[in-house]
Amino acid sequence: MKPFLDLFSQNDFSLIAVVLLMPLLGAFVNGVFGRRLGKQAVRMMALSAVGVSFAAAIATFIALDSAVDAAHTAHGEAAHTKLSWLAWEWMRVSGPNGSKIAIDLKFSVDALSGVMMLVVTGVGFLIHVYASEYMREDKGYWRFFCYLNLFIFSMLVLILGDSLPVLFVGWEGVGLCSYLLIGFWYGKLPNAAAGKKAFIANRVGDFGLIVAMFLLVVYCGALDWDGIQRHANDLVVTSDRPGPIHLWPIGGGKFEDYVIAGIRIPLHNLQPDKPWTITAATAVGLMLFLGATGKSAQIPLYVWLPDAMAGPTPVSALIHAATMVTAGIYLVCRLSFVFVLSPAAMIVVAFTGAATALLAATIAVVQNDIKKVLAYSTVSQLGFMVLGVGVGAFTAGFFHVFTHAFFKACLFLGAGSVIHAMHARIHDEERSQDMRNMGGLRRYMPLTYGTFLASTLCIIGFPGTSGFFSKDEILARVLIETPTGVKLANGAAPWQWPSWAPWLLWGMGVVAATLTAFYMMRLVFQTFWGDFRGWTIGRPSQLSKSHHDDHGHAEDEDAEDGDHHHHDDLSQPGPPPHESPRSMTIPLLILAAAAIVAGIFNPAAIKLVVSTFSFLPLEHWLDPVFSDAARGITLADHHTAHTRELVSTFGAFTAFAAGSGLAYWVYVKEKGKPAREMMLKVPRLYKLALEKWRVDEAYDKTVVSGVDALADTAASVDQGIIDFVLARLTALVVAATGTVLRVIQNGVVHVYAAVMVVGVLALGWFFVQPHADFTVVEQDGDYTLQAGPGPGYEFRWYPDATKEPQTKDFSETDNLKVHIADGKSQTVKLEVKNAFGRVGSKAFTITRPAQPAGAAQIREQ
Amino acid sequence: MIPVEHYVALSAILFTIGGVGFLVRRNVIVALMSIEVMLNAVNVALVAFNRLPTHNNAHTGQVFAFFIIAVAAASVAVGLAIVLSLFRIRRTVRSDEADLLKN
Repeated sequence: MKPFLDLFSQNDFSLIAVVLLMPLLGAFVNGVFGRRLGKQAVRMMALSAVGVSFAAAIATFIALDSAVDAAHTAHGEAAHTKLSWLAWEWMRVSGPNGSKIAIDLKFSVDALSGVMMLVVTGVGFLIHVYASEYMREDKGYWRFFCYLNLFIFSMLVLILGDSLPVLFVGWEGVGLCSYLLIGFWYGKLPNAAAGKKAFIANRVGDFGLIVAMFLLVVYCGALDWDGIQRHANDLVVTSDRPGPIHLWPIGGGKFEDYVIAGIRIPLHNLQPDKPWTITAATAVGLMLFLGATGKSAQIPLYVWLPDAMAGPTPVSALIHAATMVTAGIYLVCRLSFVFVLSPAAMIVVAFTGAATALLAATIAVVQNDIKKVLAYSTVSQLGFMVLGVGVGAFTAGFFHVFTHAFFKACLFLGAGSVIHAMHARIHDEERSQDMRNMGGLRRYMPLTYGTFLASTLCIIGFPGTSGFFSKDEILARVLIETPTGVKLANGAAPWQWPSWAPWLLWGMGVVAATLTAFYMMRLVFQTFWGDFRGWTIGRPSQLSKSHHDDHGHAEDEDAEDGDHHHHDDLSQPGPPPHESPRSMTIPLLILAAAAIVAGIFNPAAIKLVVSTFSFLPLEHWLDPVFSDAARGITLADHHTAHTRELVSTFGAFTAFAAGSGLAYWVYVKEKGKPAREMMLKVPRLYKLALEKWRVDEAYDKTVVSGVDALADTAASVDQGIIDFVLARLTALVVAATGTVLRVIQNGVVHVYAAVMVVGVLALGWFFVQPHADFTVVEQDGDYTLQAGPGPGYEFRWYPDATKEPQTKDFSETDNLKVHIADGKSQTVKLEVKNAFGRVGSKAFTITRPAQPAGAAQIREQ
Repeated sequence: MIPVEHYVALSAILFTIGGVGFLVRRNVIVALMSIEVMLNAVNVALVAFNRLPTHNNAHTGQVFAFFIIAVAAASVAVGLAIVLSLFRIRRTVRSDEADLLKN
């Protein structure tokens, strides 16, 4: 391995190209030739593309590790090390003060992006394997893998891009693939609408990202990570130019009274005593975070993610759970040194995350669609991650990204396996995903059940699992770390968090964790425990027998039923649900195993028990990346921190125990009776939660209808003015002219011939006529007259028109020189005789002005 | 020797007859014949001018006349083919009824 890796130097690490371009190659081959290649070839292409990419990613990671070690030895401490590869120089843009900012298509791997790269290619590969079986019956097999490979490529561009514009390219690329894959079954209207919704919601976020880039160009004069980091302090400048950002009056203007027609309009009332300003760091942070809310499905832009589950289940697992949606958290981690400059931006991030975690959890509690529950659970977990990075615990937040990738991918694939089995019985999209039709599946699908249960234990924070360590770490860090920012340029401290904020955030987090435990265990109990409730679905003859008769379903009692000509006999109970094939269960097993053990990368909670414990590989690994951000974070002192960690861990454990215990009591002990009673007791609250707090409807009423109204106005202007006045009027003029001209085009050949004859005669007449004409060039009173040429022309010049000609006969002399004194004028005449002996003439009066410098004035007689 | 003016006058008369015939007759075949008359008027003028003593016994005029005869033959071949096609479609050889493009 080492000789191989020595082929690449640290600043030209072209192995990155293999990681990046293999999925692109796969997408190209599958997209262009896939239809003709057949499913086996498409499968091979897609799997090998991502597989090779994964292998190259591992090699890159090993190289990175040795580079980090080398740097450590050289500097004596961990330094931020990265491997980079410059694809080509992309463009140069103008920066502040006439500088040029080079934007290169450059990619780099450091500790943070290295881990992300491994997760994306590794989990991506497993999901590809799974999908190659899951999508087996689909007509658009090649299209699916083309999109999926393209997604991996875009995601890698997003992660490995060394500057914000390159990241943005990947950011848009994954958005596009997400759109294409959500609407993969575009024949169904809800799917197409869901794809569109995801795309548009993300556009709102992208707006924020673009604005952040503009601000960074103006304030930092750089867009690559190193450049931004070097100039990050410029974002908190208080000097006049470019200075802090004025919110009111907008753009730093000043309101003064405006007098119009003797009436004084008291605009000065609008002028505050002191302009409302925010630092550029706050603005950049908030704008970047707006981008993150779009991609990572946070309030207010989370609404697209639950709908995105309309796509195939592997897509939900890969894009909408494990990788793409964590891009927002990755962005915040990547630019952590910008965020920590502004505690104000950080509190927005933290509270958005906590509120999202809580809101999504409350919705997930009442959903019945297995994928909907997982979708809201994803939104909720993303909220946890954002909460983590919002308090400055970047390592903890990123650790949750890491562990969540495994267990949520496993959960989605497990749900896909369940749906696969249900669909084989029910043949109905909606009902095969409804948990009320499942139950008892652990008997039929032991592997799916085992892996699903393992991942569930992770997500609800069962002690010892990866989810326990990552979520517990986030909650503990909320209490320990507070972003305090850095001193502004004038020495003043930035705005600080109120002291109650961490405790409120922690409380919201614990409640959300409790709800998580409840709804996830509810999902497991309803799906896998109890008796199978799906016997009667789509098989009306079984209604009378019902589900409590487990053994009677093989009998054929309703043979007289005429409804026998379906592709399977509906009077029969049908085969029991079956376990999925091996290429679906093996990824499940690997992911579940990874989900269980991933905690060992950062088991910080063990420190509470064993105080000398210091095996925290991920934290040490990421330390150089976040060391610059650490200056903006204040930690509680050691003793307080220890106490709070204990409190937090106790709270997290209580949340897990309470949530899952409640779910056990409600759904196993009482078989769902308390849930039904609650439903009847507070029907309106239940309905509201089931309808997702009617957020979509609220958006429809406000934002969407506002845009619609604007569009209607624009459309009526278009139809009334543009179409009617401009287009129709122009058409009318053209049509009228055409009508007149059409009279000439009568289509009769001899009329055309006559017109031609007339034309020839006119031309002939023109050539028979002599044309006398000349140009005059003046120099110091000497005028040179040059006659225009013509066929057989002969000339006779009259230097003075009133007197005799220069020569008596016509000659071939075609020019004449005359001298005119100052202030005098003279009339010159030219006669021309052509070959037919006809004579034409022309006379000019040339006046020379009195001023010596003046030009001649020529007047035609 | 007959002076060249006579030939030129003959050529002018022939050309005028051809031109007027082309303009006034509606029969396409007659129109084609009129074109032939005009071309031959030109031929007469060319060979007549070639006999001028200033011409130094070069035979440009005669050669030119042969070219025109060849071109005339080709144009008649094409023209008659068009007339035949027209006749097949419209059962007529009158040029004022050949207005397919108009309608």
